[in-house]
Amino acid sequence: MDPDDTGQLVRGAADGDETAWRGLVGRFSGLVWSVARAHRLANADAADVFQTTWLRLAEHIGRIEHPDRIGAWLATAARRECLQHLRSAAKTTPTDDMDRLDVSPAVGNPTEEAVLAAEKEREDAAQAAALWRALGRLPGRCRELLRVLMASPPPSYAEVAAALGLPLGSIGPTRARCLDRLREELAGIKNEVSPSS
Amino acid sequence: MHEPDDELEQQLRRLAADTEPVPAELLGAAVDAFAWRDIDAELAELTYDSLIDADEASLVRGPPGQRLVSFAAGGLTIDVEVTSAGPGRTVLGQIAPPQRATVDIRHPGDTVTVEADELGRFRSGTLPPGPASLRLRPPPGDDGPAIVTDWISL
Repeated sequence: MDPDDTGQLVRGAADGDETAWRGLVGRFSGLVWSVARAHRLANADAADVFQTTWLRLAEHIGRIEHPDRIGAWLATAARRECLQHLRSAAKTTPTDDMDRLDVSPAVGNPTEEAVLAAEKEREDAAQAAALWRALGRLPGRCRELLRVLMASPPPSYAEVAAALGLPLGSIGPTRARCLDRLREELAGIKNEVSPSS
Repeated sequence: MHEPDDELEQQLRRLAADTEPVPAELLGAAVDAFAWRDIDAELAELTYDSLIDADEASLVRGPPGQRLVSFAAGGLTIDVEVTSAGPGRTVLGQIAPPQRATVDIRHPGDTVTVEADELGRFRSGTLPPGPASLRLRPPPGDDGPAIVTDWISL
């Protein structure tokens, strides 16, 4: 079975093949998770969205009309779950990518040999923090779109469109515009950082 | 179709993979979801959810903390009112046409079984928040299929 042929995985899972199901989870869990993340749900709500989406697919697996478009089906289901959580008055604690700024490498007692590695790690962490901060400064639409695009493996434009309820034709141009905005914010942040340290 | 932005996009993808990967326990839950399939059952699909389908501008949304959800399969409908009280959820259901039924309220941690009365009404105790699905067992002596509803998040 070709793990890249998602239609085949869907048909296999519909026939009860658990390996095919695992293939689907491996291929699309990143997408489903990124949809929950893009909607800035609190961790517990994001976990609910993820789990409910997969349970729903399991119940529908024998009734999927277009097995080759299962990614868009999952993205649509996940989006619907996100909207439900966002509108639920009972639980409203949206999270923010800015929380990520607290993530910095633990500072130990670097031996001389570890100094270079630590320096590299610090640079990577600074770059990661700058990226998260730049994302946080983008308008909501841009942040959501990029957050879905960040899924591994890379989602198709059809999947991104389904995840955000946007027309397919708008994804390419919006992506280009939002990456430009991100690049500008990133440059701004790097200029803010004092060069003397 | 590679575009000049690809490098920045790949950087973002690595960032997400490094700092916000899918939690391992959720991957396990997604794999386990397969075991909940009820292949012989008839599926009652979600047809209405007040949280999503109610008109935003409408003044007739239910009281806060109350949600109305409907499922339909063949000639049967199941209307459910979900009430939130703190972290707990309560489900009040109505089967139409009215009938007695044994209802399994399935959620990943457990299955709770309740009885619908002759008017088709049933009520759960306090349930945890999270995914749930209802399963109506076929009446005794009837070898027809059970009915399972779409999963919703309580």
